[in-house]
Amino acid sequence: MNRPRTLAAIVLIWLPVVITAVTWSDRLPDRMATHWSGSGPADGFSSSRGFWLAMLIVGVVAGLAGIAAALRAGGASGLRYLLGTAGALAGSFAGLWVSTATATLDNPADPRLGWRLLYFVAGLAWGAVVALAAGPSPVAAQPPAEAVTPLDLGPTERAAWSTTLRAPLLLAVLGASAVLVAVVAYLGRAPIWPVLAVPLVAGLVLGRIRVTADRRGLRLIAGLVRIPLKTIPLTEIAGLEIARIEPLEWGGWGYRVTPGRSALVLRRGPGLVVHQTNGRRFAITLDDPRTPAALLTALQARAQG
Amino acid sequence: MLFRVDVAAAEPLADQIAAQVRGGILRGELTPGDRLPAARELADVLDVNLHTVLRAYAKVRDEDLIELRRGRGAVVRGDADAARLRLVELARQFVGEARRQGLGDAEMLAIVREARP
Repeated sequence: MNRPRTLAAIVLIWLPVVITAVTWSDRLPDRMATHWSGSGPADGFSSSRGFWLAMLIVGVVAGLAGIAAALRAGGASGLRYLLGTAGALAGSFAGLWVSTATATLDNPADPRLGWRLLYFVAGLAWGAVVALAAGPSPVAAQPPAEAVTPLDLGPTERAAWSTTLRAPLLLAVLGASAVLVAVVAYLGRAPIWPVLAVPLVAGLVLGRIRVTADRRGLRLIAGLVRIPLKTIPLTEIAGLEIARIEPLEWGGWGYRVTPGRSALVLRRGPGLVVHQTNGRRFAITLDDPRTPAALLTALQARAQG
Repeated sequence: MLFRVDVAAAEPLADQIAAQVRGGILRGELTPGDRLPAARELADVLDVNLHTVLRAYAKVRDEDLIELRRGRGAVVRGDADAARLRLVELARQFVGEARRQGLGDAEMLAIVREARP
């Protein structure tokens, strides 16, 4: 990790939070306009203090997330992306606050948003500034992959492997973010209720996942809703690798898709990396990646032989 | 957990599958609340008859290790006791070996009593 640049990025993430914190004005009325449709007059009002607090809380959460990412990620390659996202979140909510507050202060009788929406856009763009400051991530040195020993499967033997993955921590985080969205939507009268669907759907899909390895290949099924998430047939497996999965190298926690790669990451630690014949890679965290790797290798050898 | 059966073995396939479930609980790979693969799915991937898997699951259910419920499938029971199961497995081996040697029940019990320190 490039310490000075990471530190600079974290300071930049907190800057808009500080702006929100110090721009509270006693001149604001008890209730202020917080929602506009188009460029017309305001059509939604909330408690000024409540709206300010909601915007501030989101900023603080983004700032803390940035610090947590820097502490946990070490030199992982996804850190820049995470810091940038935290910066965009902190910046855009500060932008929301500044645009609504200045609109009310300029003309308390008939506040108009108008060009002040640019504050919000500038806040979003702040994420890019933070990412630039964080600098490119170093390429992490990969420990050598462990060789896979095929399962000693006799010609008359048949085998299948399955396991169920649970992610209580991930569920707790998703639950907490659902509560946060609900609180912000309620306090700030912000029209972000649809955003609630994101943590709820993620919880349903990731709450319990069945992983099977057998003659059909490697399959992932969302356990609570029984929807197939991913299937890699035996014929599309070019190679298997037992590896230590660093969440940030695969784009974070949950089901991640990044260019050329996808992954189901529920924690850091042992996992299986599948090299697909189309050049893509798929990683999944498993307590015991050796057994499915050995089985799939044996089944593949049998299918080819 | 890994299910593996040998279609050429003398032991019936249902017994082999039941033994795999027992082994999974014994080794701690299956813990209370864990769900076994759906019978239809397991039959499909192992390429055995559905009724073979159902017979295996029913056998393990009769040993009070799993619960079978419509719609929920086969779930490892909360009171499935790996330590007791280990004893049952040892007893099974003991009885099997004793039968091979032509011993009757009375003789087996006598051996167990003698084994007490």
